Amino acid sequence: MALAASEVSKTVAGPAGALTILEGVGLELARGDSLAITGESGSGKTTLLGLLAGLDQPTTGSISLAGTRLDTLGEEERARLRRRLVGFVFQSFHLLPALDAEENVMLPLELEGRGDARQRAAAALDRVGLGARRRHYPHQLSGGEQQRVALARAFVHEPEILFADEPTGNLDQRTGAGIGDLLFELNREHATTLVLVTHDPALAARCARRLALRAGRVDGARG
Amino acid sequence: MKPLAFAARSLRREFRHAELMTLAAALVLAVAALTAVATLASRVEQAILDSAAELMGGDLGIASSGPLPDALATTAAADGLATNALADFTSVLFAGDASQLCEVRAADAAFPLRGRFVIRDADGREHAAHAPPPGTIYADPAVPRALGVAVGTRVQLGGSELLLGGTIVESPDGGELFRFAPRVVMNLADAQSSGLLGAGSRVRHRLLVAGDAAAVGRFAAWARSHLPEGAELTTVEDAQQNLRSAFERGQSFLRLAALLAALLSGIAVALAAHRFARRKVEEVALLRCMGARRGEILAALLLELGLLGVPACALGVALGLALQQVVLDLASGILPGSAPALPWLPAAAAFAVGLAVLFGFALPPLLRLREVEPMRVFRRELPPRVRRFDALYLLPVAVGTGLILAGAGNLRLAGTLALGFAGVALATAVIGLALLRLLRLASTRLGGALRFGLANLERRRALTLLQAGALALGLTALALLGVIGPSLLERWRAELPADTPNWFVVNLQPGQQEGFFQAVEALGGKNLNLLPLAVGKLVAIDGEAPLPEHYEDRRAGNRLRGEVRLSWSEALPEANTIIEGRWFQAGSNRPELSVDQSWQEMFDLRLGDTMTLRVGDRDITATITSFRGVDWDSFRVNFFLMLDPATAAALPHSYIASFHLATDQAPRLAALSREFPNLSLIDLDQILDRVRSIISRVSEAVTWVLGFSLLAGLLVLLAALAATADERRHESALLRALGAGRRQLSTAVLAEFAALGLIAGTVAVGGAAGLGSVLAARVFRIAGYAPPMAPLAVLVACAVVVIALAGWAGTLRVARSSPMAVLRRG
Repeated sequence: MALAASEVSKTVAGPAGALTILEGVGLELARGDSLAITGESGSGKTTLLGLLAGLDQPTTGSISLAGTRLDTLGEEERARLRRRLVGFVFQSFHLLPALDAEENVMLPLELEGRGDARQRAAAALDRVGLGARRRHYPHQLSGGEQQRVALARAFVHEPEILFADEPTGNLDQRTGAGIGDLLFELNREHATTLVLVTHDPALAARCARRLALRAGRVDGARG
Repeated sequence: MKPLAFAARSLRREFRHAELMTLAAALVLAVAALTAVATLASRVEQAILDSAAELMGGDLGIASSGPLPDALATTAAADGLATNALADFTSVLFAGDASQLCEVRAADAAFPLRGRFVIRDADGREHAAHAPPPGTIYADPAVPRALGVAVGTRVQLGGSELLLGGTIVESPDGGELFRFAPRVVMNLADAQSSGLLGAGSRVRHRLLVAGDAAAVGRFAAWARSHLPEGAELTTVEDAQQNLRSAFERGQSFLRLAALLAALLSGIAVALAAHRFARRKVEEVALLRCMGARRGEILAALLLELGLLGVPACALGVALGLALQQVVLDLASGILPGSAPALPWLPAAAAFAVGLAVLFGFALPPLLRLREVEPMRVFRRELPPRVRRFDALYLLPVAVGTGLILAGAGNLRLAGTLALGFAGVALATAVIGLALLRLLRLASTRLGGALRFGLANLERRRALTLLQAGALALGLTALALLGVIGPSLLERWRAELPADTPNWFVVNLQPGQQEGFFQAVEALGGKNLNLLPLAVGKLVAIDGEAPLPEHYEDRRAGNRLRGEVRLSWSEALPEANTIIEGRWFQAGSNRPELSVDQSWQEMFDLRLGDTMTLRVGDRDITATITSFRGVDWDSFRVNFFLMLDPATAAALPHSYIASFHLATDQAPRLAALSREFPNLSLIDLDQILDRVRSIISRVSEAVTWVLGFSLLAGLLVLLAALAATADERRHESALLRALGAGRRQLSTAVLAEFAALGLIAGTVAVGGAAGLGSVLAARVFRIAGYAPPMAPLAVLVACAVVVIALAGWAGTLRVARSSPMAVLRRG
């Protein structure tokens, strides 16, 4: 099992007392599976994604990533697990402004201490069609180009699971569709397990499975 | 992840993007200022020590009441040192019926080893000389005046007839400033053959040595363990004790300037590091998200800081060394004599201080970055963890305090500065909070842009207070450097006015005062002041006999072994200030004592302690009721110990007086000597000239150093301000995008920075004035100093304008360029 969650809840302290963001969420994903998490703004999608990726701890319930129970690990051990197994794509790209495109893609490889980071990053940028813009800085790239760099960065170290948070949310429809195509192509090529948070029904429909959230609870699951 | 490689890459990239430029610039300037100031201070100090050696006549002296063993001179000579044997004693010189008590120095031909011995011969020609040949003496001009003889006549000393070969114009005096009789210099062989040095005579035998500093150091170390019983070793540092207050003030000024430059740079580094850390938050969140461990991130951040800091400090040292050389070349009169060799220690210390400042002030925000939660990549708005009390921020406080303690060199300066700056920080927080509340109330009635600008301050309350605090500390330091320092220096220079007493009179007997007063007045003497003098011995402190070995200060031993002089007065004498306790009040029924501050430190005394003084056959146990700061530079009659008049009235005493007499009137003093033959008249003109020259040289050096520190401080502060202004660029771009005009934008930013400047400026004027007053009284011992409020207010007002303009300039670029470009850069 690539990813499994059982009875996951998340409660945070708010100005008016405890606020439950997620309640009783469970799911199981096999290797190579793809899951779209949908729901309205504030339904808990991003919180669930963060919990599944081990960025935060659930208040109750358990999550296993590639067979490892996340609740038994400390933050440092979860970080090590993420470095090895997880890739991310964000709605607002999160490229480091001080680094050029190639350097941004090199980051996950550098974190792993790989000696061939530059060559692999260059190849990954070629793959997303930005081989000619390796020396460009994020502010010199369009939104679509920035997200392509982010995709190259997400796949460059061949993670087992890719988490994508609204990857087309900041892009126009045509560019968004292009990014969606690229995301699924790369996903297929690398046989990565994909967890995708999206508002976009068309993008959600390309996933094998879908999970709808409403006010922190599972409102429906397909596939 | 390889932290070093990662840090190197980050630094290269971030530096290219000017991210760390401010931090590096602040550091380079700080280290340059410190290097220049400390090196300059050290060279001036060394030059002053060299000149003290000239005053002393050698680099090291050994004195004893008995003859010194030959081993001392032979050992010194064996290490290549030059030696000079001297014998000092008091004797009476006769010419016919006239006589004059003199302080005689018998010297061998090597005299003087250091400095100049200048003689005016019978023809009035001045020339440098050595000890007089056998059969000849040289004397202070007061001697022939008192004896009524001319140079070239024969006089009697110790039963021998000797030729008065010339009068002394300038002479190394063994570090003794005050003599109770005029000087005579004779040949050592004459003194030995005439029996003047025989048993029963009170002779001070001296050996002076001079030569290479390392050899002098070796000899001093050897001699300390081979000194005969009762002998004293005097270094040039000790010798300058007599001019202590002039040197100490000069040093305190230099140290103050260097310290302020370091603290200013610390503030700039802290502000820049804070900004750097804020920019790093999202990068750290992303790295955490990608699986970087906390330790790796921290290591990379620290290495990045180190890779930035080491070359920046090195560059600062190089720049500082070049700058101090430029100052020395431009102001060649600063140093007495030629410039001493370049010392490396101050530069090395500045380098270390630079790194301490960098890490001390930059670490807290960077270490807190470890706590950035990876979830922040999804939610930028996630609030950072806020602590009520963050112990990490004690680090810059500790580094700052450490700097002050190590750099001040004396606890009083350190304490005053540390408390003063803590007070300024506290006052900023209190006044800042009150002003912010007031602004919030007022801003509801103000127009749009103005309200927006002021509301920004309230919205970022913590940041506002941090910036206001940093600015207040910076402005206080600037005001101290720019206004208080120069005005204190001015006061110091003016401390030896033209009518400073230049004659001391001792041995005036009770009953002679009236006649003496009239005689001095008739001569045109001014500024006459007179106090009773009783001589005793200090026999107990708090009922126990004090032992010299119990006190760290070697001078304490001399005080305990020798006589102590005490005086009394109804009113607190001029040039004295009460530092602790109260002056004597009539009606007290127990003996009371007022003690000079240096004795308080030397014997570790407290109010309420008792001292037992033996005067004649009477023991007086007096309670210490006050400590006094005494301005010894005033050249008035002053005492370390003063008894209450009721207790002292019955003690056997004489009087000691000082007065000013125009130099051309000096010959008329012969009449005074004849009228009061028991008096000893001591000419202080040469000493006064020397003190004036030292004050003028040191204060000139201090002016340069103050100016340089001020410049560096100003640059550092501007660099820090540019950094804070940068933070508003994004917001201003957003406002532009929403349709704000340039004028509205400028108004908002100007209002915000002017309010920030107002808070900081108000506190700084008060802080600098308060600190200035305390520094004047406690550190520089300048009585009645009132800080010049008008220049202070002008300086701070200018600074407020500069602050507002710097903030405004930061957003000018935004107003000129497309808001889209700024927003896209993030």
